[in-house]
Amino acid sequence: MRTVGFTTSIPVEIILAAGLIPVDLNNIFIGSERAHSLVALAEQAGYPRNTCGWIKGLYAVALEEEPDAIVAVMQGDCSNTLALMETLQLKGKNIIPFAFPFDRDRRQLERAILKLAEGFGVDMGQVNLVWDELKGLRGRLKELDRMTWQENVVNGLENHYFLVSSSDFNRDPRRFDEELTSFIEAARLRQPFRDEVRLAYIGVPPIYTDLYPYLESLGARVVYNEVQRQFSMPNPGEDIFQQYLDYTYPYGAFARLPDIEQQLGQRRVDGIIHYTQTFCFRQIEDIVFRNRLHLPFLTLEGDQPGQLDARSRLRLEAFVNMLK
Amino acid sequence: MLGIDLGSRNVKIVQMQDGVATNHALYDTIWFYRNYGARLRSDAEWDLSDLGFTEDQVIATGYGKIMVQMKLARQIPEIQAHVLGAVFQTGLKDFTLLDIGGQDTKVVKVRQGRPADFMTNDRCAASSGRYLENMAVVLGMSLEELSSYSQSPVELNATCAIFGESEIIARIVEGHSMEELAAGVNLSLYRRCASMLGQMASDIIVVSGGGALNDALLEIIMRETGREVIRLHEPQLNGAIGCCTEKLIGNLELR
Repeated sequence: MRTVGFTTSIPVEIILAAGLIPVDLNNIFIGSERAHSLVALAEQAGYPRNTCGWIKGLYAVALEEEPDAIVAVMQGDCSNTLALMETLQLKGKNIIPFAFPFDRDRRQLERAILKLAEGFGVDMGQVNLVWDELKGLRGRLKELDRMTWQENVVNGLENHYFLVSSSDFNRDPRRFDEELTSFIEAARLRQPFRDEVRLAYIGVPPIYTDLYPYLESLGARVVYNEVQRQFSMPNPGEDIFQQYLDYTYPYGAFARLPDIEQQLGQRRVDGIIHYTQTFCFRQIEDIVFRNRLHLPFLTLEGDQPGQLDARSRLRLEAFVNMLK
Repeated sequence: MLGIDLGSRNVKIVQMQDGVATNHALYDTIWFYRNYGARLRSDAEWDLSDLGFTEDQVIATGYGKIMVQMKLARQIPEIQAHVLGAVFQTGLKDFTLLDIGGQDTKVVKVRQGRPADFMTNDRCAASSGRYLENMAVVLGMSLEELSSYSQSPVELNATCAIFGESEIIARIVEGHSMEELAAGVNLSLYRRCASMLGQMASDIIVVSGGGALNDALLEIIMRETGREVIRLHEPQLNGAIGCCTEKLIGNLELR
């Protein structure tokens, strides 16, 4: 079967309705043991050193994985995507643009989704069928998230893994659902964690591979992964359009804030880690979050894939220590 | 109590008994690791008697603290050590601590004698002691001399320690005096901390680390912020002092 790569979460229901395999290029990049050399590969191709590591990783993955098409989110994610797509076009890749409307206008989003469906040769009847089928799985993702903060039997990395993987369901929703279901069953039998410190993680998923275990070694557990949770579409709404309107990530800091504030309120969090990628415009948005969220706040920056550097470890350790 | 602060440029050791320092020393980091690294890493009973330190309970901090594996040794986070040291040395409970170390700068908002919030410089040596050292070399003067100029600073914009060098060479060619250039270097170091000082603001700014030895920098901070600026009595030993004082702080009368 043919594969469709994408650069950030898209209405994956369309890909599945078309009988194609969704592939989130981010997950392949960060899951690769060669993540570091993938970045180097893009730099050899001419990507500047002062460009986001994810974009470089996506470029290399798109070339190596050879998906049959790539859906590129041109608005609502990262403006570097434009040049990423242009350089992939140069390599003969089949690029399909998609855009989340910045003003969160329902009619515009409807048009974008309809156009994408049309491009893949499916009608909304077929798409809605998949949307309906995925409801159970999305509900179980929500349950896993609840078990993280309310029952305290799921750790930060497990929460991150399942939620972040829900952008493409690890290419196979059925198998993913089985993995999730058996995980939830096993987790229910666990003794609750006794955390000294409960943390919120906001921002894009980390490029670091050992963040969650490191935090747990310090006695702090992440009980809220903001963007990863959004990837799981926790609010399915009355139809697929509403689901992707309620999805906060593509619509800017002020669209994300009410959701973050609500979750912080109910999850009894001691402090916030705001992760931003080096050279990303979201480093500027840090000003907004710092200004609006009134909890101890640490901005963590990551550049290259791999383990936490000594400086970041020092800062995390001091932050957790401060919260104890 | 023996406090060891393993920093990027220097290793600082302070021995304390009943709240009084009985011995202290500062070593070049590379020299120290070369000669004593294996001893710190070993699991055996520790021995630093040839450096004049007697057997005691060891508390380590700083970038290199993870290499201290000796029996009886414990590690504490750097920010905590610096705050403990500054509270112990000043007797203050509410202040902003500015620590200018060899390769990074930390700004900590201290309330009730505890860290309430902190920031560190971005990933570049431009706001650290290393920047001052490099600039002194480029200007052909000692660190002490560089530290004496704060008037009529030349504007330097580079955000990076390496670009800073090429920028200052361009300024030399333009004909600015060495005094004005040195003042410019000190002002640029302040500028890189200014945003952090603003966000972590208190009425009193306490300065520690090697950068605290820079008179001109302290004068600039005072001039630009209008706040009271205090240099610690032992700015470079502050982290090591903090390691020794964890148990003592509770008994202090803070103001």
